[in-house]
Amino acid sequence: MNSTAGDVALPQEFFSGYQRFAHGCDEALDPNGTVRPAWEPFVQAFGALTRGEQAQRHERLRRLVAENGVAHDLFAEPGTRQPWSADLIPIVIGAEEWAHLERGLIQRAMLSDLIAKDIYGPQTLLKTSRIPPRLIFSDPAFLHACRDPNPPAHLVNFFAADLVRDTNGVWRVIDMHAETPAGAGFALANRLLHGQLMGDVFRACHAVRLARFFERLQTELVQRLERDNPLIAMLTPGPRHEDYFSHAFLSRYLGLQLVEGGDLRVTGSRVYMKTLEGLKPIDLIIRCVEGSHCDPLELDPNRFGGPVGLVQALRKNPKLIMNSLGAAVVENRGLASWLPQIAKQLLGEDLILEDTGRRWLGDLDARVYVFEHPERFVIRPAYEGSGRPGRAEQGILAETLTPQKREALKFDLELNGTAFVAEERHDCATVPSWTAEGLKARPFAMRLYAWAADGEYRVMPGGLAMSLDGTPGVAMSATDGHSRDIWVCSEQQAAVPHITLMRPAGEVAEALRTGAVLRSRIADNLYWLGRYGERADWVMRLLKGALTAASDSGGAGTGDGGPRALELLLGKDQAAGAVQGLSTDPHAIEQAVQLLMTAPGRSYSLPGLRNSMLRAGGIVRERLSLEVWQTLLRFSNIVPDEQDGAADPAMLFDRLSEGIVTLASLNGLTAENMTRNFGWRFLDMGRRIERTFNLAELLLALFWERPSTEEETARLFFMLSVADSTITFRQRYLFAPVLPLILDLLAVDESNPRGIGFQLATISKHLWALPQATQHSPHTEEQRIVLDLMTRVRLANVAGLAYPGPDGVRTGLQELLGHLIASLPKLSEAITRRYFNLTEDELRRVAARFGQAS
Amino acid sequence: MNFDISHRTVYRYSAPVAQSHHLLHMRPRTHPRQKLLDYSLYIDPLPASKADLTDDFGNPASIAAVEEDHTMLTFHSQARVDVEAPADFDPSHSPGWNDVAAQLRANLGPETFEAIVYTCPSRFIRPSREVHKFARASFPEGRPLLEAVTDLTARIHQSFTCQSSTVAGAPAPVEEVLRLKKGVCQDFAHVGIACLRTMGLAARYISGYVLTRPPEGMPALTGANTSSAWFSVWAAEMGWVDFDPSNNLRPKEEHIALAFGRDYHDVCPVSGVLLGGGEHEVEVSIAVTPVEPGA
Repeated sequence: MNSTAGDVALPQEFFSGYQRFAHGCDEALDPNGTVRPAWEPFVQAFGALTRGEQAQRHERLRRLVAENGVAHDLFAEPGTRQPWSADLIPIVIGAEEWAHLERGLIQRAMLSDLIAKDIYGPQTLLKTSRIPPRLIFSDPAFLHACRDPNPPAHLVNFFAADLVRDTNGVWRVIDMHAETPAGAGFALANRLLHGQLMGDVFRACHAVRLARFFERLQTELVQRLERDNPLIAMLTPGPRHEDYFSHAFLSRYLGLQLVEGGDLRVTGSRVYMKTLEGLKPIDLIIRCVEGSHCDPLELDPNRFGGPVGLVQALRKNPKLIMNSLGAAVVENRGLASWLPQIAKQLLGEDLILEDTGRRWLGDLDARVYVFEHPERFVIRPAYEGSGRPGRAEQGILAETLTPQKREALKFDLELNGTAFVAEERHDCATVPSWTAEGLKARPFAMRLYAWAADGEYRVMPGGLAMSLDGTPGVAMSATDGHSRDIWVCSEQQAAVPHITLMRPAGEVAEALRTGAVLRSRIADNLYWLGRYGERADWVMRLLKGALTAASDSGGAGTGDGGPRALELLLGKDQAAGAVQGLSTDPHAIEQAVQLLMTAPGRSYSLPGLRNSMLRAGGIVRERLSLEVWQTLLRFSNIVPDEQDGAADPAMLFDRLSEGIVTLASLNGLTAENMTRNFGWRFLDMGRRIERTFNLAELLLALFWERPSTEEETARLFFMLSVADSTITFRQRYLFAPVLPLILDLLAVDESNPRGIGFQLATISKHLWALPQATQHSPHTEEQRIVLDLMTRVRLANVAGLAYPGPDGVRTGLQELLGHLIASLPKLSEAITRRYFNLTEDELRRVAARFGQAS
Repeated sequence: MNFDISHRTVYRYSAPVAQSHHLLHMRPRTHPRQKLLDYSLYIDPLPASKADLTDDFGNPASIAAVEEDHTMLTFHSQARVDVEAPADFDPSHSPGWNDVAAQLRANLGPETFEAIVYTCPSRFIRPSREVHKFARASFPEGRPLLEAVTDLTARIHQSFTCQSSTVAGAPAPVEEVLRLKKGVCQDFAHVGIACLRTMGLAARYISGYVLTRPPEGMPALTGANTSSAWFSVWAAEMGWVDFDPSNNLRPKEEHIALAFGRDYHDVCPVSGVLLGGGEHEVEVSIAVTPVEPGA
């Protein structure tokens, strides 16, 4: 370990204690234990840091990964969440070696593209048995509906290959990806995080930046479309997909619209995006959805990952989708044995990067051979879906099976061998991994990307590396999600001009997104996020108010405002049984509060509302800042679960206080951090409409009838406290509250942000600013409803409203609040009809089935 | 022999449908024994777009989208076809099934190649042990292929109960049909195809019609008055040979093919995806009548 680079000595202690595997094949050290030349600058720069500094960076990287949500599977069940981590130490690849990999990757990309074009075109390779036709026809990724006599320039635009280095030092391809951008978002995210922490080391290594590659891609995508301001959408299966982070990250970075199948519609063989302003034609779809899931009409009838009619739209415009539908067929692992021949035939070249040894088990001879030498092979599926990087299936070791099970496997393969391959086992080279206990050797695989927007393929100067589990198979299978960056180091400093550091992703996205269209589904869910958030806040205020009243009084004297409010909430779920005459007994109140805080199935209980907020929030996540999202998650953790059991009132009280504060900070964050675009208006409108409704309902429930003076005063205090207006009232008046003043404060006064008047005025401002608003009459339906409500409230005579009739009933108040309560749902429906209608109900499939009529 | 076909499918929805896309396999395909003499398709309401194409299995297909609110949708096709009965043959003089399977594995020329796709798994037909167990009894080593298939067809006919009601929804998995021992014609076709593929043979699914009015003195065939389904096996130099397991016979001219595919999914006569619509009802009426020469 006494190698030198130039005249600077390498830090001696950097590799002390580093244990290589028995095979000795390592990226950083040659078999003699000398640092490889490509790694010298890295070892110099990184090794120069003290262990303390390294540990600090390690810890910061861990935190950044968590905070950026790289590791977060939004909707994954707890326990099934996929771990993700990034290593401080990258894979360092020297210029010469990289040039070899680059050539090999481009050759692979071209070959895959040619194969795909043949399979979906003349099928010459199949007819002449260059590829066994059964291999393709048995692969569910081969889509008969996508056979095309006039293919576009490329069927495969986004290509990736997974490579390992075997113990002879040879790079071998273990998998190819042509279905989606294959986790490129993770590679990008890793690089951006690394950039923040390892910029000094990165520069010292003269490593190549990714920015230029992506900028070029962006430019070429637009060029390809030959029109100004093209609408490019990235089609994702949605937040439930394990690779969603990658889709969201990449689309944000490239400034593309991230859409799901439900955001799109095919009309007259053109694809449109549903937006607030109506249907907008889409020029290009970058596909992150499996091909067969993209059109329920012609492909898998049970999958709605793309718009109905997409295949027909593609026939009309063969350049519409990248990668084209069905491209995944070239991922089939069974192809490996035939690729050298095909490369010779189609390209006139030898394969630059060879495959790991694989045999397709649809072939009888291969099956016989594999069962003669079970110790040499791992049996694995020939095709897998496109999931998160590092999740390839691990395969079966025939050798380890009992004779009985081995026979069963043999029989299954006779029936279904086309779906499997046998893979030769071999060890893989290791790379040092940074741990607090010192460097640790880990075998790895790396995924490299070659993309062609319009013309030729270009290789991303970097990629995504993952540690392998050390399982028998040689797939990219990394159950602990341990990933790392790949640095391509140029030998000459001058060759890499030091352009500015990459702009952070958010900045790029923001700049490109200004004035971008808002999808109807996003607007819809922002609106409901606003409504559910406000409802949760209201419920917590009522529960807290009821608990306070119950504990203050010890059972009597502070009135029945609390119980009445609880009745109102409990009555929302008709199915759960309406509740009447809840007593003022503190026990009964605590029980009701506990129910509303923990029952998951109710629409006005905290768990129910929390779930609704998460659902809506998940859909609009890309519109929310990281802080907003984290606050939402924090709120979700505050809501108790049913299994928490009977809790004491103090705990309930604390949870409620904490919840109210968290939601307040959520509202504060959205108010402060969201740009005042249409999205924000919908969120705020949802909040205002909900608040108006809740206030009107509670005012009506508590004051429609005149009780005793003492009781009325108690209710007024309760009302003030839940409407968070006690202080405002105190500042204005020094005496006990009376109804006319409360009505003035909570209904008419347009300056009290907790009052009805303020809500209505704000709603009207939003409605007049939306895309389809009319500034002059005749106004839209929703504008008319708000005008009517505002006028009625403004003209209200509070003294008259508070005046009871001879029977004690305040008919004026009843009429006004009743009108509000009846009109607000109509307002919500009118907004839905105008702006969210394109979201529509679910798609359904129909077919006439065979049978006998007589 | 010439036939007139009238095939009418009506959907009724409980709520308006805003947009619907349909994939139709209603135009009878041509094949060496069948010519299409006349064809028309009526769709109400008029679709905003309609495209005709030939699918990857050589069938004519149409894609139609209705873009206006509707609560009822009608597809009515009328066709005249000329069908020729296949030449008669002696099943015991067909090639051995093992040889045919070996030819398919070897991919020896254009005809074999065309058949290979029908040896492979498809959406509703996947290889399984249950199927293999049922199939094996008809396929002793070296048995002439068509003798084996005649036996298989008879066994399906004997072992399964034919249900007589119209069933909606997706077809049952083959394993379930095997377990319950009942189904409709398409299920029996699926069972037959699954058995043949398990033995390494090529079998395709045929959707079509069966003559409505039986010859005098004969009972109506199963599958009359509705769309029906049967299968066809590739017998090397003898080409494709049809078998109808629902009626336990080899189709002659009274079976009119609509489309060939790997299974029901490839050739379903009418399918669609809708926005809205609530509940739906389907009504299918089919009439197939022989045309007197010169009519």
